[in-house]
Amino acid sequence: MIKVENLYKSFDGIPVLKDISVTYEAGKCNMIIGKSGSGKTVLLKNLIGLLEPDSGEIWYGDRRLSLMDYSEKKQLRQQIGILFQGSALFDFATVLENVMFPMDFFTDWSKAQKIERARFCLNRVNVINSDGKYPNELSGGMQKRVGIARAIALNPSYLFCDEPNSGLDPYTSILIDQLISDLTKEYNMTTVMNTHDMNSILEIGDRIGFISEGTLLWEGDKNSILGTDCRELKDFVCANTLARNIIEGKH
Amino acid sequence: MVTGVEKYVTLPTKLYGMVRNFVESIGRYFLFLKQVFRKPEKWKIFLKQFVLETDKLILSSIIIVGVISIFIGGVLVIQTASNLENPLIDRMYVGYMVRESLVLEFCSTMIALILAGKMGSNISSEIGSMRITEQIDAMDMMGVNSAGFLVLPKVVAATVLSPFLMLLSFVLGILGGYIVVSATGIIATAQYVTGLKFCYNGFYVFYSCFKMSLFCFLISSISAFNGYYAKGGSLGVGRSSTKSIISTSILILMFDLIVTQLMLY
Repeated sequence: MIKVENLYKSFDGIPVLKDISVTYEAGKCNMIIGKSGSGKTVLLKNLIGLLEPDSGEIWYGDRRLSLMDYSEKKQLRQQIGILFQGSALFDFATVLENVMFPMDFFTDWSKAQKIERARFCLNRVNVINSDGKYPNELSGGMQKRVGIARAIALNPSYLFCDEPNSGLDPYTSILIDQLISDLTKEYNMTTVMNTHDMNSILEIGDRIGFISEGTLLWEGDKNSILGTDCRELKDFVCANTLARNIIEGKH
Repeated sequence: MVTGVEKYVTLPTKLYGMVRNFVESIGRYFLFLKQVFRKPEKWKIFLKQFVLETDKLILSSIIIVGVISIFIGGVLVIQTASNLENPLIDRMYVGYMVRESLVLEFCSTMIALILAGKMGSNISSEIGSMRITEQIDAMDMMGVNSAGFLVLPKVVAATVLSPFLMLLSFVLGILGGYIVVSATGIIATAQYVTGLKFCYNGFYVFYSCFKMSLFCFLISSISAFNGYYAKGGSLGVGRSSTKSIISTSILILMFDLIVTQLMLY
């Protein structure tokens, strides 16, 4: 579980996140949604420690992120898997080497064991017969799937996804969403996903937090999102045709 | 629009800003080096990367260093010979002066300036591209010391092995001079060889190797620093590459003066 308490963050005096308090539960797809520029990515980066908040606290279980020293943060990061918006696969490594990368650093497994685990993760995400390929030889969807395989290589307790469907066709988006949801439940991970894709939200959103102009305006799940009274959220949701049709009773 | 008077009023503020940014950069550079020189997580991974970087930075520079050194050696012979037309001066001094020019300055400083372009832009654009595509963030988030993994093998390979490039340049420069002497008969080859052996000072080779190591340390570390903190997409990567070449070139010449004063005077 991850708990955020009264988080503030600003850049050059301009507030980007204002008094964010939220809890992300294990075994669930917790979503951060909102328009572009609302502060979703800044919140995600604060959660994973790439940015430091101006004030407020982030708790990983019973451990406070701000009080962790270098070695404690390093240990925590080994329990975190991240899927970046652009996959962030290493150009200098093949698909197999990318998935083995965290194992090379943080395990004493033999090469055969690492290869076996990497192949298991790649099979789990349905990337087959691509071990020797480099990231630039893969399609966008395959890159995302290899990114997920690398993220789960060390059985993480936490999975962070920054707009995982960005740039993907609708069919591949559904596959990626389902994969993330299945893995979350299978490994009981605390998954935090940053998105503005309404289809993803309606399909796999177990807990949803809506951010507008740096403020957490609404929290709920995919069943309650369509009946919300929050005007900004309603505008955001109705921008999607399917959601609008459901709300207006046309579907 | 800034008027003439306002320009002079804001000048001290701008200067203050520039000096402050410069001092901040120096501080960040040393903090970056502290991160780079942390103990590697796994020595096996470091050694593997060291071998890869040796190939990329040192072995791939052999051809350019070799070609330039051969031609410069030949040019030095012709220029030196044309300046020593006085019949009272022994022609063997051509070989002597070519050797001294090569060992004292060309094979270290000039080759380092060439490597500042080749090696420096390669390092800063490679690391800069990794920064803007979030690969470095991905490494940091896995708990890997990205600066140590990416930069330390480059710095160690460049610093430790660059003296071999200097020695190669020295040998090929002398060979280039010999080729021109043989082909043109500008002086007798025996006189050239005698000059090469005249008053040989082995300390100059050590001095040149030391300079080369220092210059390559500056090239690799400063280029990596600029790439590591690149921002602003592909334009930012280009800017970091340009900044690396300019700053390392200036620093090479500054440190050349300082080291020469300390070691030779």
